[in-house]
Amino acid sequence: MGVDLSELVPKQPKLIRDFSGQTVAVDAYNTIYQFLAIIRQPDGSPLMDSRKRVTSHLSGLLYRNLNLLEAGIRPVYVFDGKPHELKKGTIEERAAIKEKAQAEYEAALAEGDLERARSKAQQTSRITKDMVEEAKRLLGLIGIPVVQAPMDGEGEAAFLVQRGHASAVASQDFDSLLFGSPVLVRNLTVTGRRKLPRKQVYINVEPERMELPAVLSALSLTREQLVEMCILMGTDFNEGIRGIGPKKAQKLMSEHGTLERVIAAKNYDIPQWQEVRRIFLEPAVEDPGPPAFGEPQVERIVDLLVGEHDFSKERVESPLRRLVEMRKEQKRQGSQLRLDKWF
Amino acid sequence: MFKARIKADVLREVITVVGTLVEEVKLNISSDGLSLRAVDPAHVAMVELVLKAGAFEELKATACEIGVDIDKFREMLKLARAGSVLRLSHDEDKNKLVVTIDNLTRRMSLVDTAGMSDPKVPNVNLPAKVRVKTEELNQGIRASESISDHIALIATADMFELSAEGETDSVSLKLPKDLLEALECKDTVKSLFSLDYFSNMVKSVGNAPSVTLNLGTDYPVRIEFDLAGGEGYVKYLLAPRIEND
Repeated sequence: MGVDLSELVPKQPKLIRDFSGQTVAVDAYNTIYQFLAIIRQPDGSPLMDSRKRVTSHLSGLLYRNLNLLEAGIRPVYVFDGKPHELKKGTIEERAAIKEKAQAEYEAALAEGDLERARSKAQQTSRITKDMVEEAKRLLGLIGIPVVQAPMDGEGEAAFLVQRGHASAVASQDFDSLLFGSPVLVRNLTVTGRRKLPRKQVYINVEPERMELPAVLSALSLTREQLVEMCILMGTDFNEGIRGIGPKKAQKLMSEHGTLERVIAAKNYDIPQWQEVRRIFLEPAVEDPGPPAFGEPQVERIVDLLVGEHDFSKERVESPLRRLVEMRKEQKRQGSQLRLDKWF
Repeated sequence: MFKARIKADVLREVITVVGTLVEEVKLNISSDGLSLRAVDPAHVAMVELVLKAGAFEELKATACEIGVDIDKFREMLKLARAGSVLRLSHDEDKNKLVVTIDNLTRRMSLVDTAGMSDPKVPNVNLPAKVRVKTEELNQGIRASESISDHIALIATADMFELSAEGETDSVSLKLPKDLLEALECKDTVKSLFSLDYFSNMVKSVGNAPSVTLNLGTDYPVRIEFDLAGGEGYVKYLLAPRIEND
């Protein structure tokens, strides 16, 4: 979930190929959730193999990453570590939403309301330990580096960009900006076409690039103030003040300057806000060194997806072979570096 | 506030330089002149450009930023006659740039600069410096373009070389020290560059008779030349290609 800043931040529309040659730090959980939610049958049931194991995430990870790699983009997947103590509330809340959605999904299915069933089913998506392990295994076989964050994945991803190991964080959430990522890209790891909720309308989803300095200057805030503003609205680590959205929060911050003064002036109660502030401004991170990319291991990917999970052999093998050929050609031609390396 | 008169030829030099890398740019304007900094969408190259007040026929400005669409200027400049002088003024109320050539006026809508931050200038330490005649460089580029899509720029203590390897043919332009306007190089340096980028950059050199190249090994090249007869300058920075193992 994370904080929603979409109405306030300046975005630059981009095409996938604009990111060619760049390494992006992908928020792995966020992306896998997207796959689990979106890649479903018309009645809302996820893709499954013959043993009823969900395979939506594997399908998404394979095909989306092949698209990115073909476009010359180099993804690094950053997985969440241990959640912070303060995230428990959010986690429990999400579990409750899923339980409720599960019941509503079953009810809608029983009534034969497929559209409602599908939309409810999307909210029931859960990432299991097995899914994470298999996702990491598949990514490794494709040659995509996996980074294990000590705590929050978006904090680690932001750090990879700051350290120059990647040029942007890819996530649907805005939190990486709070964690200090200079650049955030949305809609990079999701498909190009998406159905609007509760409508039979499809829209094209193109990547959007956001730069932290531009966001801060558009809001006339410092990063510390942006974090404090989001604490007012509520984050994954704290409940916000009821009725305060982005616009009000920004107004309060520019009027009072600091969250401490907003709280004093308005007599708000935000337990442990200093700790939340610290989570964003001094996230727990580790430097894994520069990411090491490998070559796709076609046979082993076929064993995993076709052998164990009943994917179509043709549909797994042929795009992989195409990628391998392309990589050979790229090697022959040498590669263009980006200036970011020298910033 | 921004009000200026500028020769179409001078503005064309600026637009040609910027247009090699980006389609939209933020101009920083003050009474000292105009400056800009832009990075191309692929982050392979950047440009810094300064046009001093002396490059304008007339300049009245307080510090401001305007975001412009390069294509709109190209269209206007096509309409300019030889020796034309353009009048530019910023209509702050409507946020438009009013461009007038002779009796023709175009009111240009501007690009929102909120999402455009000023790119940082990378920190590169380039050990070699070569000043070479623009026409020599152009000849080497034209010869290379027919056989390859990348070139090597090499400097040694006593010469500068531009070389291209094709599948069957190769091209080399060798300029010994006495044919160069300047050469400062202790150890041999060599970097590869995309010919596409490099050639567009060198083609954007207007009337400047020479170009300065700052080089390292597997490092970006900095390409510097004068604008508007010395009343301004351009500094391009282009990231190298590297040979894959």
